[in-house]
Amino acid sequence: MQRNRSLTGTARQTVMHLFQVGAGSGGIVVLDLLARDPRITTITLVEPDVYSERNVHRHAFPSSAAGRLKGEAAAEWVRERRADVEVNVLVADLTDPAMLGIFEERASVCDVGVCAVDNEAAKYAFDALMRKAGKSWSLGEVLSGGIGGWVHRFTPNGPCYGCVASHLQRTVTEAPEAPAPDYANPGAALAETTIPASKASIEVIASLHASITLDMLAGTVAEFTSLLFTLQRVPGVFDEAYRPFRFTIAKSEECLFCSTIPAAEAGEDLDVALDQALARLGND
Amino acid sequence: MLSVEVPAIEKYNEGRDPGFRIAVTRVGGSLVLGYTLKPCHNPYRLETRLLSSYPTVPPETRIVSPMKHCPHLLEGQTICLWRQGSTRAASRWDPAKFTCIFAVQAAWRWLACYEVWHETGEWPLPEAK
Repeated sequence: MQRNRSLTGTARQTVMHLFQVGAGSGGIVVLDLLARDPRITTITLVEPDVYSERNVHRHAFPSSAAGRLKGEAAAEWVRERRADVEVNVLVADLTDPAMLGIFEERASVCDVGVCAVDNEAAKYAFDALMRKAGKSWSLGEVLSGGIGGWVHRFTPNGPCYGCVASHLQRTVTEAPEAPAPDYANPGAALAETTIPASKASIEVIASLHASITLDMLAGTVAEFTSLLFTLQRVPGVFDEAYRPFRFTIAKSEECLFCSTIPAAEAGEDLDVALDQALARLGND
Repeated sequence: MLSVEVPAIEKYNEGRDPGFRIAVTRVGGSLVLGYTLKPCHNPYRLETRLLSSYPTVPPETRIVSPMKHCPHLLEGQTICLWRQGSTRAASRWDPAKFTCIFAVQAAWRWLACYEVWHETGEWPLPEAK
């Protein structure tokens, strides 16, 4: 891990930059716990959402914060506890291509990344950013209904999120069997997405997420890629509550994201190469 | 795209009858694959659209040829291939393993099912019921 260091008087003081995406009910817990670590001196937070009344029962922010940007409220939360920490908020969607340059610059100067979002596209986007920057990052996921959760740790040379997601999709049951798609309303969310997790379960997983991220900052050697912690006994899914499972997931040689497939050209060369490919493939 | 998808499409097209090759065009920020499939007796014209968020977001495939309405055919003759789950566990599309050719093959399988359904009234894949 690359660390930025500055000299304060005669003593060396570690200064670290946290790059976090998401300040929802789990993300704010991770942010709070990490921001209290004296090594953290700079935080970049990506969070586009507005805090609403329906968030209140599961979030650390009070109801009086409803209507405010979550990112701004989170920055205020941190500054009230660590006035010496520089907090930069980017009110943006992590998958917005127009913001990619700024995200890449932030990733390149951070020491560790934290992903606390619950949509797959953003997880892949954050993974791509951090791999390109060669930085380690962590991801927390609370399972539907708060029956347990995951914390994953990623390193530049280890498996990417695609490898981990692909492995877990095939080998681990994370939820009771879902109903078949509703063809009468195909765009609707499946029922599994509507089962909320309790604040307690969110905070347990978020605290594990923060703890594992602090281990990463300390340079602790990873003994696992992914930690699954169960919070409920669910027939067909988890036999016991409060049980940890550690998974060491290897980088897939066939992964389309992080395998050894040669990288394509960059910039204008890439556009030219793509145009040439489309010209080859464009004839009916 | 260049290192994964284009070689996969070129391999698919290699040695294939010209009428059944995939042609790729750029439409705005998306790439559209146009092709014909003939799983049984009838040829079908299809389009598979790779959005700018591809491969994280699965490709969308629609059938251009006129179809009889069936329960697995969505609005705009888009075919239901990937469960629209919001989580890793609920999603059938694996962006780390699948190329757009997987989507073409899945469309072929869907069309084969459609022809069976057309004859029997039964969709032959139980997990899709």
